[in-house]
Amino acid sequence: MLKYERKEIADLGIDESVKRLTPEKITKTINNVLKGTGARLKAYLDTCIHCGLCAEACHYYLSHGKNPTYSPVAKVKLTLWEMVKNKGNVSPDFIAQCSRIAYTECNRCRRCSLYCPYGIDIWYLIALVRRICLLLKVVPQYEMDTNYSHAATLNMMWLKQDDWIDTVQWQEEEVRMEYKTARIPFDKEGAEVMYTPIAPEPKFKPQLLAATAKIMHAAGVDWTMPSFDGWDNSDISMHVADFETMSRVERKHFEAAFKLKVKRIVMCE
Amino acid sequence: MAEINNWDWDTKEKYIADINEWKKKFKAVREISISDDGERIAAVVENNDGRFTICNNGGVWEETFERLWKLKFNNENQLYSLAYRDYEWGVGIDNGMWEEKFDSIWNLTLTPDGKGAVANCKKDGTYGVVLNGNVWENRFADARNLAISPDGTKTASNVQTKSIKVADIFAFAEGIYSIAIDGNPWDRNFMSIWSFTFSSDSTKVAAEVMLDVGAFTIAVDGKPWDQVFGCVWEPIFKPGTHDVVAPVKRGATWTLAMNGKPIWGEFFQIWGQKYSPDGQKLAATVATEFTKWTIAVESNAWSRTWNETVLAPHFSPDSRRVAAIVKEDNRWTIAVDGIPWIETFDMIWDPVFSPNGDKVIAKAEKNKKYYIVVDGKIGKNGYDALWDPVFGPDGKKVLIKCIENGKYYRRIVPVNEI
Ligand code: SF4
Ligand code: SF4
Repeated sequence: MLKYERKEIADLGIDESVKRLTPEKITKTINNVLKGTGARLKAYLDTCIHCGLCAEACHYYLSHGKNPTYSPVAKVKLTLWEMVKNKGNVSPDFIAQCSRIAYTECNRCRRCSLYCPYGIDIWYLIALVRRICLLLKVVPQYEMDTNYSHAATLNMMWLKQDDWIDTVQWQEEEVRMEYKTARIPFDKEGAEVMYTPIAPEPKFKPQLLAATAKIMHAAGVDWTMPSFDGWDNSDISMHVADFETMSRVERKHFEAAFKLKVKRIVMCE
Repeated sequence: MAEINNWDWDTKEKYIADINEWKKKFKAVREISISDDGERIAAVVENNDGRFTICNNGGVWEETFERLWKLKFNNENQLYSLAYRDYEWGVGIDNGMWEEKFDSIWNLTLTPDGKGAVANCKKDGTYGVVLNGNVWENRFADARNLAISPDGTKTASNVQTKSIKVADIFAFAEGIYSIAIDGNPWDRNFMSIWSFTFSSDSTKVAAEVMLDVGAFTIAVDGKPWDQVFGCVWEPIFKPGTHDVVAPVKRGATWTLAMNGKPIWGEFFQIWGQKYSPDGQKLAATVATEFTKWTIAVESNAWSRTWNETVLAPHFSPDSRRVAAIVKEDNRWTIAVDGIPWIETFDMIWDPVFSPNGDKVIAKAEKNKKYYIVVDGKIGKNGYDALWDPVFGPDGKKVLIKCIENGKYYRRIVPVNEI
């Protein structure tokens, strides 16, 4: 019998959110998500022979002294299997456990699928758990906050539209102290390249934008950045399984490129 | 069309400015901008002292700034700009400025009559909209994007009505965003709001709104549709009515809904819907399957699909025909009524129909030169820079605004000589 034991970590996004759940809401949400999974979920759950070969693939398992509850198969057993077995009738505390496992004990590297003799896609199963937790709004606070930032502003750091513009223009001034003719050209229609950063750059390390401008200047690249929404290439919504916000963010990003008539998008990381 | 009739459609060629000279005269030349009628060309130029001003048909503005951008000619050929100095933003109009100054100003847009300007702004630390120099009295913690009513009298923005603490996910989920019209917010908030638009009679506003995680709908004047969807995209009003049409996702597929009820068949994706000028037909970009993009008119998809993208549809002025930019295997072209031009391009700009809808022209790029393409046939001349071509009122002549060997020309060319 697997026993899930962890040090307590306080997280408002989990602890406070589970208090707002009702049994009906939990059951309905789980069953709605599982209904949409078709043969894939069933095939994976039926095929797994619990051999545990996937364990050696997982860095969470290896870095926690081979604690079996960190093995990929155990993480599925401790979450999704229980939900399926109980037809969605699980407790709020169980949802809190699922959220902790799905969001903080698997980083979707997919190595385990390569170790599994059947190629079972464990990450797909964990992602279903994330989706359920997301719809129940039981998500670690800062992940949910970042997701909400994407939903509200289409960037991950709550940047206002004028914050973004001002930061880029300021960094252009900075880079021009060193390279007199360097530019950060906003909205240059027909440029070869649209460069997009991730929002932590303008928010916390704006000098990275100046560094990019230096590289572009030295390389002679015909480039631009959008002054409007769509400038952030990050998409935390994908990580928390908010696929609606994820697609909205991606659509904006590509549409910025279409609008600026560029041939390529170049992204930082 | 009134102003197009007043343009010079007779003078074959006007040499307006030598941009190479500008480049010699100034330290830098940025953001070249052209008036609709092609009579004027302007750019942000940098003086030797590192400050910026504007060169407009060779005339230089005496004022200089630390930052200067977003040049935009109105239809009277006055030039708007956003200008910053001494920690204040202002709006330039030709050689003058609006009296009002701002902490920041952006999203500069011409008013529907083509004369005035509207923008988002921050003033005294609060956010709103400014229309022709008049700032909303009521301002907010944030304002993102704007819409202006077709009659030019009302402005709307997506505003944050409540300030919340950092990472307060619970307060956020209660809704902190609304649409404000002339500074007056709707009487309810939403979790998020994206695109929004006025009805053709300027009395109503529709917006795509988020009700909850995974739950979306359209709200009109703050009242959400009864139906809730897995996702929605931008709404539009049917011209001359208060009916609202938006793409909505039910289960795994998309359809177009009017006032909440489906009016189209099911597609893998739908967006960019547009009414024909006569208000009778609807066309949209659709995917019939994953990576099969095309246009549907009245829910009927063209049989030809493209694997990378199809941009929003364009109707001919007589509402008969539909054209769209299409992309396949990294090559761009235009398709008209489902049939792509044979020639493909490195890049292509929006299709332009002749007044009677018979011809389609577009600016296109091939091997770093720009061409006018007429019904798929690439024009004789390749230019260093080119702006969207404009058909004359009789549909026989085309206004070409181009730069050749560093010189800017305005030309009127019979369409059959392009
Ligand atoms: S996908 Fe998750 S469970 Fe599988 S190896 Fe990677 S971290 Fe471990
Ligand atoms: S290796 Fe595959 S079959 Fe074995 S326990 Fe892991 S997921 Fe199941």
